[in-house]
Amino acid sequence: MSWPTDIMAREKGRVLEVAFDDGQSIRLSAEKLRVESPSAEVQGHSPSQKRVVTGKENVAIVAIEPVGNYAIKIVFDDGHDTGLYTWDYLRKLAT
Amino acid sequence: MVSRDEIMTALAAVPGPDGRAPLPDSGALSGVTIRDGKVFVAIAIDPARAKAMEPMRAKAEAVIRAIPGVKGAIVTLTAEAARAVAGAPEAHGHQSDGPPRRHGRPSEPLPGVKHIIAVASGKGGVGKSTVACNLAVGLAKLGLAVGVLDADLFGPSMPKLFGLHSKPSVAPDGKRLIPLESFGVKVMSIGFLIEEGAPVVWRGPMVVSALNQLLREVVWGELDVLVVDMPPGTGDTQLTMAQNVPLAGAVIVSTPQDLALIDARRGIAMFNQVKIPLLGVVENMSYFVCPHCGGRTDVFSHGGARKEAQKLGVPFLGEVPLDIAIRINSDDGRPVIASMPESAQANALLEIARRVADTLAAGAPGAMPAPRIRILE
Repeated sequence: MSWPTDIMAREKGRVLEVAFDDGQSIRLSAEKLRVESPSAEVQGHSPSQKRVVTGKENVAIVAIEPVGNYAIKIVFDDGHDTGLYTWDYLRKLAT
Repeated sequence: MVSRDEIMTALAAVPGPDGRAPLPDSGALSGVTIRDGKVFVAIAIDPARAKAMEPMRAKAEAVIRAIPGVKGAIVTLTAEAARAVAGAPEAHGHQSDGPPRRHGRPSEPLPGVKHIIAVASGKGGVGKSTVACNLAVGLAKLGLAVGVLDADLFGPSMPKLFGLHSKPSVAPDGKRLIPLESFGVKVMSIGFLIEEGAPVVWRGPMVVSALNQLLREVVWGELDVLVVDMPPGTGDTQLTMAQNVPLAGAVIVSTPQDLALIDARRGIAMFNQVKIPLLGVVENMSYFVCPHCGGRTDVFSHGGARKEAQKLGVPFLGEVPLDIAIRINSDDGRPVIASMPESAQANALLEIARRVADTLAAGAPGAMPAPRIRILE
């Protein structure tokens, strides 16, 4: 399991960059992170409840907070802040 | 025109905040702006070291000024973005009409506390609290400054195990509580605040907020280790601890029987999921030696926890026998590790404490440094 060493919001919060200790680095747009937020507000409680979030082309990350050893909480400028992004989930979004 | 590359080349001559890695490689550069030949650079530093960083700042400014074509240079020191952001007001907030939402707090270390470890089990009744209490006293005997947080709000055991019955007093700041002390260990438990036998009947959110108070609104002082006695299971308390504090590791207590081991496996899987390193597994009630005839009986079977630990690749910390002296002394509020230090039981527990202390000193297997979080331009 590779481990994140650096997590950076760039380009005025439009892009999240994560560097892993195996030398790999991923880049995710804030829009992608927002519409694929792992929060139950987006995912519901089963795949059938998943919501399609639209109109987030210009969303930006305003804050990133660590959650324990395993995830980050991303605060977006549209007020969404209930998604906890685990290291595995970030990697999954990048593929 | 001055280029960004020229600035980076010039800054490569300046060692960064750690005094070694040149600034462009240090990761501390949080913003480089060029406007009309003027260069603005921000260097993120730990605010506590602001004074010590001043020569670095001045040098960075000087090398940029020396670049041909640069009309002026301003280099500023800024507090690390992660901290600044954590305290930032909630941006644009509340889209819904409800009250502002607080989904837990970000994970913050406890000031003054070096390592926080959880003592957990999947199943109740395996002697987790007794092991936690003796482990704490054992660590104190090894010369460490130790505290115990009783996180089992529904069934607090620490007041009884430590023989503490008074109420904690309020610190001079009028906000925080002073933990009680016994056998050289600072102890905080919800059991100090309610009558013995009174039930705590709460839903999850109350548990979460009470835990945060017991953790953060207590004058722990300087501690090497804070031992957290977890309730059984994998619920609100475990998740709160996993999210709100950086745990250095977890100790899993199990009896050797299959029924308990199944739950222990669940506990281990939970800690794996939230990336908390496992310090090891303790087999409690490992065997019983008859005080009358000296014959040994493996009441709950034997060796199961060791096997399980091997199978899962987790260190095995030791076996503690099922023994009436442990029960009697525990019920009297005298941890056996202190009251019968020469006994086999005490030795087994002290050995476990020693292994835990060694693992903490060396770094738990699989422990990873927290990633650096930054908001860049």
